[in-house]
Amino acid sequence: MREMERKQSSGQVILIAVLAMALILLSTQIYVFEVRMSTVHLDSNSLNDYFFAIKLGSRNVVIGSIANVSEGGSNTVLMANLDKLVALVNRQNQFGRSTLNYTVEETAPYSSGVWLFWGTDGFGVSSAFAQFTFNLSDREVDADFSYFINVTTTLTVKGNYRTMLADEKQVNVTVNLLNEAKPALASQVTLYYRILDRWLAPNASNNYIVTDYGNGTYFASFLANIPSLTVEVSVLVRDQQQILVQTNATCS
Amino acid sequence: MGRIGITLKMFDNGGQIRIIEAFLAISVMFSALVLTAPMSSTPDLEKQGTLKKIGTQVLIKLDNNGTLGKLIEGGNWTALKQSMDLFLPAGVFYNMTIYDENMQRVNTQEVSNSNQEGSEAVVIQYLCATQSSDTHFYTIKLQLAWPK
Repeated sequence: MREMERKQSSGQVILIAVLAMALILLSTQIYVFEVRMSTVHLDSNSLNDYFFAIKLGSRNVVIGSIANVSEGGSNTVLMANLDKLVALVNRQNQFGRSTLNYTVEETAPYSSGVWLFWGTDGFGVSSAFAQFTFNLSDREVDADFSYFINVTTTLTVKGNYRTMLADEKQVNVTVNLLNEAKPALASQVTLYYRILDRWLAPNASNNYIVTDYGNGTYFASFLANIPSLTVEVSVLVRDQQQILVQTNATCS
Repeated sequence: MGRIGITLKMFDNGGQIRIIEAFLAISVMFSALVLTAPMSSTPDLEKQGTLKKIGTQVLIKLDNNGTLGKLIEGGNWTALKQSMDLFLPAGVFYNMTIYDENMQRVNTQEVSNSNQEGSEAVVIQYLCATQSSDTHFYTIKLQLAWPK
């Protein structure tokens, strides 16, 4: 009789075992699914790309701002643009809560993150400098990232002249352009020479030639009747980031 | 005789119960498998991760020298589409929508290579700042998908 009861209940045991197996199967699948989801969320490559994109955006803003200031815009443009960037980045929640902060360089020669020095000794600088801190926080990640962006366009000009006939002089000017201390190409090179109080641009009638060496060095040459013993030239260069820089130099 | 009849009947019922139990067990297992099947066939997250990476890399590549901002600022949607066609691997469907700072759609033309439905679709959100002296900000939503 007992044997028969045991046989009768064995079906229920099988049913319970099957139920347990089904539960294990389900929970395993759910676990695997969750693990795969979190793996994708925490993919360090995705985060690196995200950080890089934020840094790239910051750099673009600094370049645009210094281009604006170099063309006569206010020094406050940099901070105004960075404020906008910060607001937009902090609104993003693709990977978690983003917090971007910045400080502009105030140590001399910078003021509000901008340094414009267009000298008379053959040296000119247009520069902007800002430091950033970026924090990304989520349930699964808390990452800090700090970086700085320094965009500096430097211009150096050296020149000499040779007297031809009477006041006629052949002036040779060498221009060097650098972006962040590396040779850079210009999108525009404009040269002026001074006669008394007037600045004149040489043209074809002056046999004006500009040679581009392709490595950030430009050689300009022209003929002009200049009565003074020294020749003053002014060189205005726009780099390929549309940042303007200018300097005056005396050729002797 | 009466006792033998009862026992036989009990044995008959026992067989039916076994069949019902077996049927129940099979149904439980079957339903468990049916329930977990969609979970295992959810979008391939590795494929989605790859798509996201590819898309972000393409946008970074275009943005690196300010080209992306220039094309958007100039409304040069044809050139933008050509650049995407060039940089994205063949066979990847994409659809790009560009919004300004006020989240108003900027692109007047479709920047897309397909109106077909793809699989393992992902959306990438990318903030683009222009390098121009009057800095503009654009939010790019790039949808990518593998062909079905």
